[in-house]
Amino acid sequence: MNPYWGHHFFGFFAILISRIWQGLHGQLTWEDLATDEIQILVLLLIAASSVLVGVFLVLRKMTMLANSLSHTVLLGIVITFLLVGQTQGAPDLKLLILASLITSLLTAFATTWLQRSLRLQEDASVGLVFTTLFALGIIGVTLFLRNAHLGIETIMGNVDALHLKDLLLTFYLFLFNACITLVFYQRYALMTFDLTLGRNFGMPTLWLNHLLMIQTAATAIGAFRALGAFLFLAFLVLPPLTARFFTYRLKSLIFVSYLIGAASSILAVALSRHTLSVYHTPFSTSGLTTLTLALFFFIGILYRYVLKSRLLCVLTVLFKRRHLSLRVRYRSVLSKKEQEL
Amino acid sequence: MKFPTLIQFFTDPILRAPAVGSMFMCLASSLIGVITFVQRRSLIGEALSHATYPGVISGILISALWCDPKLSLPCFPILIGAFLFSWLGLIAIEMCERRLHLNPDASLCLILSLFLGLGVTLASRIQAIHPFWYQQGQAFLFGQAATMGDVHIGLYATLSLAIVSLIVCRFRQIELIYFDLGFTQSLGLSTSLCHFFNHFLLILALVIGMRSVGIVLMSGMLIAPAACARQFTDRLGSMFIISATVGILSGFFGVHLSVCIPLFLCKRPLHLPTGPMIILVAVLLTFLSLLFAPKRGWLARMLRIRAARLKQQMDHLLKVLWKRDTAQASYLRSELGLSRLSLYFLLLFAKKKGWIRTGEAVTLTTHGRCKGAYIVRLHRLWELYLTSQLELEERRVHRSAEEMEHILTPEIEERLTQLLNNPTRDPHHQPIPRKGDT
Repeated sequence: MNPYWGHHFFGFFAILISRIWQGLHGQLTWEDLATDEIQILVLLLIAASSVLVGVFLVLRKMTMLANSLSHTVLLGIVITFLLVGQTQGAPDLKLLILASLITSLLTAFATTWLQRSLRLQEDASVGLVFTTLFALGIIGVTLFLRNAHLGIETIMGNVDALHLKDLLLTFYLFLFNACITLVFYQRYALMTFDLTLGRNFGMPTLWLNHLLMIQTAATAIGAFRALGAFLFLAFLVLPPLTARFFTYRLKSLIFVSYLIGAASSILAVALSRHTLSVYHTPFSTSGLTTLTLALFFFIGILYRYVLKSRLLCVLTVLFKRRHLSLRVRYRSVLSKKEQEL
Repeated sequence: MKFPTLIQFFTDPILRAPAVGSMFMCLASSLIGVITFVQRRSLIGEALSHATYPGVISGILISALWCDPKLSLPCFPILIGAFLFSWLGLIAIEMCERRLHLNPDASLCLILSLFLGLGVTLASRIQAIHPFWYQQGQAFLFGQAATMGDVHIGLYATLSLAIVSLIVCRFRQIELIYFDLGFTQSLGLSTSLCHFFNHFLLILALVIGMRSVGIVLMSGMLIAPAACARQFTDRLGSMFIISATVGILSGFFGVHLSVCIPLFLCKRPLHLPTGPMIILVAVLLTFLSLLFAPKRGWLARMLRIRAARLKQQMDHLLKVLWKRDTAQASYLRSELGLSRLSLYFLLLFAKKKGWIRTGEAVTLTTHGRCKGAYIVRLHRLWELYLTSQLELEERRVHRSAEEMEHILTPEIEERLTQLLNNPTRDPHHQPIPRKGDT
């Protein structure tokens, strides 16, 4: 029995806090986790993974590449299925990484081949590659896997069908991303801000690029079941773009982005529970996640372009007045002394 | 079930509507694709086509207010909703770029995912109240031409013919604005009006195409025919015509394959979406043209490179032979730096031209001697020109002459001879072969 059943927005949080309290005191086991809690945990982990990748993608202006990867993961998944055979049951981390390798390498090589050897202009070759691979993926899904639903799931996501296994998979995915980003953090940062300097230091920029792409593809596949490949894009792009309104430093950018991603995923789960219990309409949680992310984006705009200047004004008035008056007094003292002299 | 023939796709009452309808739809998008391709903004179609999704869904939601949800889906609210939302997406993208100073890449991605998220949220609402219409609405994602009737043909044909006639009427403006923006402005034409008009056409084409190609793959239909047409022509007008042809072909064969492949593979009619098949046909045509187009294609370029390299090697061979009269094959191999096989082919080619005789050793024929002398003459003339006219040092001119001897034409040779007063010695005091000898 789901303990959140029939609760509205604030009731959800009350129960969530009490459940966390119980969990901290060891009164709950993993099997007791309600679907809402699994959703929250999965979304939090996916948010963490995608922030670790997304910040670099956004800063390096490679988001359209992420878009094309999010299309091509479908083909990667289909090929992996065909290679390994129909493994029913647990989605495996090894398979996930294999699929992401296939996807990212296929996409990268096809795109560069079209550009270099066949001399197609850049935007057209990106667009052509991902639509083709996606079309192949859809046909493969329909003909070989006989699973027309997977195609729709690519877009819609299906947060409500998550299990404990998915939670484990996203946790491993997070570990994978965190390890790579921690190890290569300095290199990624250098590549982001000064690619030429990185090349001069002898960094293998091409391989690091590929590594970033593999990470992106892996995150896309990990998010595939929960969010769908396209809504994952929102998770990838929106938090860093929003955080850019608040901060200019890379580390705090990652931190703020993660805060935004995490807050919106918790809010979205609560909202979807709220609409279900109060209005009796089940809204898609993944869609709501995007909308809450958008809400934060608008708050960011509001802060950056309207509130920030006002806030600064108020702060300066508050803090500088004392300072100013001190200076005026100092001046007057000085002038008096001058007169005396 | 039997395989339908090609003619049946135009006569059979069930097959006719999807085939002809998707031909018209692809015609519209392939025409507009040329404009975005020339602009180098092909990816804007991707964002705008995804932005139509919430429009489609809200169109269904609105029509659910007065229609009986057991009937088939009404067209107009969906088309209008998709158009409005796509336009909203365009405005939002421009706002992001101009006001918020996001880079174009990020703003496209942002709008795409945002609108899709909105669409997914609304779709889950429809799924709860009208599951039947939800199914039909999902067909817009990957394209499902099979459910169209003759009414749809009329509607989509009218819309796409409207696009064709608008493009024909405004062809000069389109040509002007993309090839010379400054000139257009100096003529006093309003560029913003032109851009507005082109965006209007783009969104209209996206809305028309989404029934057969699908929202997700629409951008491919904008890119592929235009990229294919670019391979064959340098003129905008003929690019439009070729692109339209490719679009129509892929629209027809896409529907054809999506009917035939499931019959062939599974022996039963399967629910294969039309969008991917249309895209694959279009991409196949594009790919073939990228490889084999007469001037810009990969094969033509490779052949040109090969021919140039062959000429260079041949010139070297004749030059070496001219200096020594006869030479062993092993000597030639080391001198020209060729492998055994490629030397064999080179000699074969030269023999066929009648320039050399092969036997124990390789010797030149009289014809070949003339040819060799001509190349050496070009080489030494150029060296002399560089030292006497351009005053370069003698030891530095050889390398330049090595390259120029393959390129110089008889006219340039004539002018050089005149300019240097028909010289007999080159800067290294070697004799320059006379004109009569070549």
